[in-house]
Amino acid sequence: MLVKAPALGRYVYWLDCLALLGVSAVLWLAFVWQLRLHELPCPLCLLQRVAFAMVGVALLMNLRFGIRPLHYGIAVLSALAGTVSAGRQVLLHIAPGDTGFGSPFLGLHLYTWALLAFLLLLVYCGLVLLSDTVDSEARPRKLSTLARIAAVAFLSILMINLVSTTVECGFGPCPDNPTDYKWLPK
Amino acid sequence: MIMMLPFATVLLSALYTWRGHRRAGAGWWWVTLAIYICWCFYHMTSPLNLSL
Repeated sequence: MLVKAPALGRYVYWLDCLALLGVSAVLWLAFVWQLRLHELPCPLCLLQRVAFAMVGVALLMNLRFGIRPLHYGIAVLSALAGTVSAGRQVLLHIAPGDTGFGSPFLGLHLYTWALLAFLLLLVYCGLVLLSDTVDSEARPRKLSTLARIAAVAFLSILMINLVSTTVECGFGPCPDNPTDYKWLPK
Repeated sequence: MIMMLPFATVLLSALYTWRGHRRAGAGWWWVTLAIYICWCFYHMTSPLNLSL
């Protein structure tokens, strides 16, 4: 049961669906980019992917168990973690003359887009919390079709990222500027 | 430092959430966050060539 549902609150479930679809799309885009351009993600890039996945878990919790402050706490901390790693990478390449890491996408590097996306997610969480919407109890509920599509897109890209990172780095650290997959023949 | 480890733990978190186990999902999220922080210290503590 929804305890309080002002104007924005009625749409929170659908907004969470769209946000999870957006997070999944970002992860899919990064993976397609990696394959198409053969640009292997650096450790900071991989950390940003983990942070997107952590935000996605919080959104999935909202869809699966209802709207609870715990889930938005998880989303905010995850987005902050992503902001730290993306911000660090922006600062690494901010000096004049530095061409940055990887190819730009629509004029910005992927880590800059990631920083903007994490800030956008923080704004989203703030706005949703302002709606003061909360479910009375956290219990598992059926997912709508859109939520199921978002969840499947999210879980599948997480599995792909696990395999891809393992193939790239093995069971150890990744080099700062990876050029080859560790587990694939050169 | 095992780079694939946080991907494994966040996948577990998502799978438990999907299966309806909220506490387990949140627990694995905490594990992922702890690994994330450790990895940040490993990768982000070299000095930047900037004056901040």
